[in-house]
Amino acid sequence: MPIRFALLVVASLASSLAGAETIEMKVNGLVCGFCAQGIEKTLRKNPATADVLVSLENRLVAVATKEGQDIPDGELRKALTASGYDVKSIQRTDTPLDALRERLKEHP
Amino acid sequence: MTLLRRAGAPGALALAVLFSPGMTNAKPIAFAHGTTVMAEYGAGTMRELQVFYAPRYFLSTGLGHLALDSDIDERSRDITYARLNYLLKRWNMESAQANIFGWGSLASATTADDASGRFAWNAGAQLDYETRRIYSSLKSDYYSASTFSHRIDTLQLGVAPYEHDYATLATWFVVQARRYTGEIHEGTEWALLVRLFKRGAWIEAGPTTDGKLQAMFMLNF
Repeated sequence: MPIRFALLVVASLASSLAGAETIEMKVNGLVCGFCAQGIEKTLRKNPATADVLVSLENRLVAVATKEGQDIPDGELRKALTASGYDVKSIQRTDTPLDALRERLKEHP
Repeated sequence: MTLLRRAGAPGALALAVLFSPGMTNAKPIAFAHGTTVMAEYGAGTMRELQVFYAPRYFLSTGLGHLALDSDIDERSRDITYARLNYLLKRWNMESAQANIFGWGSLASATTADDASGRFAWNAGAQLDYETRRIYSSLKSDYYSASTFSHRIDTLQLGVAPYEHDYATLATWFVVQARRYTGEIHEGTEWALLVRLFKRGAWIEAGPTTDGKLQAMFMLNF
C-alpha cells in the first residue's frame, strides 16, 4: 500500500512538472538592463522557450516553455552561467508568464 | 588623419549609430554573442570609437580608434588598434555586481610629426561595482609607442534617483574625474554627466568644469 501511494505521488508530481508552463529562477548579479538583455537573448535561443521575463526588482528570470516541453535544470543553469550569472534557485509553476508579468507590475 | 578627427563630436556619435542598429554598456564585454559599439567625445581632448564582439561572456575582441589633441602643446595622436578584452573576475551578489576587466591591444599610431604609422601597444584595466542605485568604476588605459606614451585614468561615481527595471528607462547622475599623462592635459578634468539607458541603448552627456562637452553613446545588440 505505501508503495502504491508513493507511486501515485511520483506520478502526480511528474504530471505536474510535464504540464508546467513557467520556470522561475532566482538569479544573483541582476543589476542592470544589459544583464537582462544577455540572459534573455540566450534563453530565447532554446527551442523549448516560448517567452522570457526578466525582473531586476525581483532578481527573477522566468521562462515560459512551449506546450508539452520542458528545459532541464542543468540546461538552465548552464545557460545562465554561460551568460555570466549565478542561479540560486529554480521553481516550476503553473502560472502563465503573462499572469506573472501582470502580478509583478501590480506588486513589484 | 582621421575619420574621427574630421568628424568631431557629432560625427563620432553619428558613426556609432551607423555602425549599429541598436545601442550598449560601459563595460568592454556586454554579453555572450553580443556586439558593442561605443563612441566617446572627451571634452575636445579625446575621441574614441570601438566595436567589439563577445563570443563568450568573459571575452570580447574588436577594433577601435583613439584620437587625442593635447591642450598643452597642441600635438595630436591617432591610434588605431585591435583589442582583446577579458573579464578577469566577476562577483555576482544578491543585489550587486562587481567586475575586474583587463585588455590589451596591438596598434598603429600616427602623430602630428610622424604620419608613418608606427607600432604601438596598449594595456588597460577596469574595476567596477554597481547596484541599481549606486555605480562606481575606475579605469586605467596605457598606450606606448616609440615616440610617445600616455595613460588615461578615469573614475566614475554615479547615483540613480530611482531603481530602474529591464523595460524602464534608467537614469543616473555621474561625476567623472579624468587624468591624462604624457602632456595631453594638465590636472584633473571633472565632468557632471547624466546617463540614460534602456535595454541595449545608452547615452551619457554633460559639461566639464571647463565648460566643454563630455559625451558617450553605446549600443548593445
